[in-house]
Amino acid sequence: MLLQLNNIFKWVHSGGQRFFLLKDINLEVEEGEFISVMGPSGSGKSTLLNVIGMLDTFDEGEYNFLDESVHSLKEKHRSNLYKQYIGFVFQSYHLLDDLTVKENLEMPLIYKKIKGSERKAMVADMLDRFNIVGKKDLFPAQLSGGQQQLVGVARALIANPKLILADEPTGNLNSKQGEEIMELFKQLNSEGVTIIQVTHSEKNAEYGSRVINLLDGRMV
Amino acid sequence: MNFLKLAFRRLFRKGEHALTRIISLTAGLAFGILLLSEVLYYFSYDSFYPDADRIHVVHENFKMDKSSDQLESYPRVSGAIAPGLKAEVPGIEAATRLNALGDHMIYTNDFNSYSATISLADEHLFDVLPVPMVSGNPREILKSPMTCMVSQEIADNIGGNVIGKVVEIKNYPGKKLTIGGVFETLPENTNYTYDVLISMVSTEQFTWDGTENWMGNDRYYACVKLSPGVSPADLAPGVRAMQVKHQDIEKLEEEHQGVVLQYSFMPITEMHVDNVKDMIIILVTIALSVLFVSLMNYILLTMGTLITRAKSSAIHKTCGAESKNLQQMIFSETVVIFSVSILGALLLIWGLKPVAEAQWGHNLTSVLNPYVIIPLTLLMVLLVLITSYFPGRFFSRIPVATAFRDYQQKKGKWKLFLLSFQFIGATFILTVLVIVTLQYNSMKNADHGYLTEGVYYGSTEGMDGNKVDMVLNELRAMPEIETVGLGYDVPINGAAGNNILSPDGKQELFNIADFYEADGNYLSILGIKVSEGENFISGQTAANDVIISKKGAELLKLNNGWTDGVVGKQITVTEHGNTTIQGVYPDFVVQSISNPDVRPSAFFYQPEEKFEQLKIEDPSTSFNIMVKVHEGAQDGIIDKITDIFNLGFPREDAEIKSLEAEQLNAYKGQKGFRNAMLIGNIIILLVTIIGLLGYTFNESARRRKELAIRRISGATLSDILKSFISDLEFVAVPAVLLGLIGAWLTVDKWMQNFAFKVPLHWGIFAVCSLSILLLVALIAAINYTRTANQNPVDSLRQE
Repeated sequence: MLLQLNNIFKWVHSGGQRFFLLKDINLEVEEGEFISVMGPSGSGKSTLLNVIGMLDTFDEGEYNFLDESVHSLKEKHRSNLYKQYIGFVFQSYHLLDDLTVKENLEMPLIYKKIKGSERKAMVADMLDRFNIVGKKDLFPAQLSGGQQQLVGVARALIANPKLILADEPTGNLNSKQGEEIMELFKQLNSEGVTIIQVTHSEKNAEYGSRVINLLDGRMV
Repeated sequence: MNFLKLAFRRLFRKGEHALTRIISLTAGLAFGILLLSEVLYYFSYDSFYPDADRIHVVHENFKMDKSSDQLESYPRVSGAIAPGLKAEVPGIEAATRLNALGDHMIYTNDFNSYSATISLADEHLFDVLPVPMVSGNPREILKSPMTCMVSQEIADNIGGNVIGKVVEIKNYPGKKLTIGGVFETLPENTNYTYDVLISMVSTEQFTWDGTENWMGNDRYYACVKLSPGVSPADLAPGVRAMQVKHQDIEKLEEEHQGVVLQYSFMPITEMHVDNVKDMIIILVTIALSVLFVSLMNYILLTMGTLITRAKSSAIHKTCGAESKNLQQMIFSETVVIFSVSILGALLLIWGLKPVAEAQWGHNLTSVLNPYVIIPLTLLMVLLVLITSYFPGRFFSRIPVATAFRDYQQKKGKWKLFLLSFQFIGATFILTVLVIVTLQYNSMKNADHGYLTEGVYYGSTEGMDGNKVDMVLNELRAMPEIETVGLGYDVPINGAAGNNILSPDGKQELFNIADFYEADGNYLSILGIKVSEGENFISGQTAANDVIISKKGAELLKLNNGWTDGVVGKQITVTEHGNTTIQGVYPDFVVQSISNPDVRPSAFFYQPEEKFEQLKIEDPSTSFNIMVKVHEGAQDGIIDKITDIFNLGFPREDAEIKSLEAEQLNAYKGQKGFRNAMLIGNIIILLVTIIGLLGYTFNESARRRKELAIRRISGATLSDILKSFISDLEFVAVPAVLLGLIGAWLTVDKWMQNFAFKVPLHWGIFAVCSLSILLLVALIAAINYTRTANQNPVDSLRQE
């Protein structure tokens, strides 16, 4: 079992009332799965992804990741956990504008304290694998949307994560670029990487082995 | 990750306000560093001497006012005290004494002249205050009559190898001194400075020899080096025993029914700090205010830019960054911005070097010593840590999930809190500036009780006595000159002291500011009109008759019970003997208003021929020739007078001064302080305006939606401005009040230095505070108007 969510609740207070963002979420994810999370805007898809990615906290329930109780971990341990096992891909790519492609790819390795020579080799491998060697010294603003997302995926993968969390990864891409990214995810999944993606697209959801539907913070 | 490399890149990115932050920080740091380095420089005085902590300056403590219990402390003693302390007080390892002759021109045989500060010193000088020798044996030189040693600087000016050369002091013609050695030039941070040291055994060639005196003639600077482990308090019994033996102190105390004279020892490294302690408090207050305001502004602007970088914080976190990584990133950025700003500040200081040196009175390079550099460096490190900590903490705590949506800073009272420090600083320094300027102007323009316009004077120091008469006649022949007179000193330079005795001669009634002799024209040139009796009249007034100030006359009437005035009365004055009071003149300011000599003053009559005769008999005698120039005839007059004076100077090196300029020069300290305040004020206002612009810009962005909704709901521009500006003024008003309190406390302390004080009218404070509040309102109005005038639909669409 890669991760397990038991009775997860997340809420906010507004006007003296409690509004649930996530309500009684129970989810088990095995290694190697490719899950698509769907639902209308405001249904809690991104919130669920953030909770799974340990970027956001929850108010009630239990979360176990590789048998570690995430809900009882301190920030440092949580950060170590997702640093080691999770990669993120975003709709808006979220590359750092002031870093080159090479430096963007190198960043997760630095935070993992991987030695310089090893880092260089890993970055070179990834540039090769994604066929973007020629772009390594360019800044994100000098790339097309599809190229930026390619770098985003490469950055998510460079530290060899067990789990990729993708929040509408094709949302800002045209259909051809979107398809390329989804094919890439499919290939990664076939290589053993677990993927959880949030999507509005039925077509993209079909790449997954399982679809989870959310409505008003509940799994339906 | 190389955060420093990234930080450099960020310097050139749009939206980072790097240039704005650097400018405000540079200005604040330049001013702060300049002021603090000066203060630290004060603390470095005389610390260059080996074992400086064991060197102490002997002070004489006595009662200036016999009715008071307070002892006045004076850092000079009689000639025999220093050798006496060495010989008779256990715990003193070495003792020396110096006797200053002052600033003089020295001549070499090749007719070149050099300006030098000259002192007589005994052969033990370098046992206590050693300076590395370039050549010669200091002990031997300072034991040999009419031998001197000169500083490396003077030696270089003269031309290298100076040993054996003969020099002569302008004011002591015919007294030939042989140079026996060269010492390394003294640094500027010393209490006792000299370029030429003459052996003390030569004293009687230059001044009255008081080297064997146990009391009186207390003009010797005595320094002792204590044995290791000995404290000044340990010396008390030995000093007392010395006083009993040589000064018969017990008998004196019995006669005066109390303490007459005591000696104390002040560490030489504390001497200067003690002299300028009030100035230190003021400089530190101003420097820290400017630095603080500048740093608060930096933090405010940095936090503003970090809000726009919230997403990058989240991205770093999703890539595995921990809080400490993000804090390191902000620290690196702060280091880079600080480094650039410090570099800018140093360049700015270098650019202002001539102004700063004129103000401080020393070379700026003198502050490059460990006593200044180490604390300043530590302060800079501390500032970097503080200014990076808060933004770093904020940046690392931005929640990731929120950052990826649309991170908006909440109202953020901290921003107003930071801004309020800028208002405090701006009010403080503006108010201080206004009051300092008023005080300076009032002193500069105040009626000193005598005329200065069109009055010029020159010393006869170095003039051939036989040519004085000719010079006087030539001056009188000049069509531009109205009157020519003779006297020993001018009011702005102060006066020596003597005592007026009781009619029975047994009691000293009071001390006077003694201007010594003057001829019949001297007082009229100064426009001092005799109010009782009459002025000195050549040919009629008897030599040594006196004219006294009104204050002196009143004291004489009071002490002697004279009810019929003082004119025509006989009095006895120390050094002058019996004299008859010829007249009384209104009190005038002796020295300056900032540092007035409040004693009664007096002039003694001496006919012109007597002045000339004394100069011929003793060439080292010097007095002033003073002239009054006709109105409108001042153009180029100094050069013309100098030409006439030079007829009497073998080396044609006469120096003519304008009394008006000299009087203005007496207030250069206040002028410098006013200028420092002005620069500080400009910097703080600049920083505050930048801070306000930054704040209102961020607030405009943050509240864009609110502004749009208000506009759509029918609010007028005026309604919106009222609401936004009142938010700011709510913070500004208490801040301004705090600034006013700070200013009042500082100014009150500063004004304690002056006998004459400009009244601290409430209107000054009201105008200053209103100015700041108006400035705040104006800047806010300009910035908010721009946002409020945007099409509200566009603003909402952006949302």
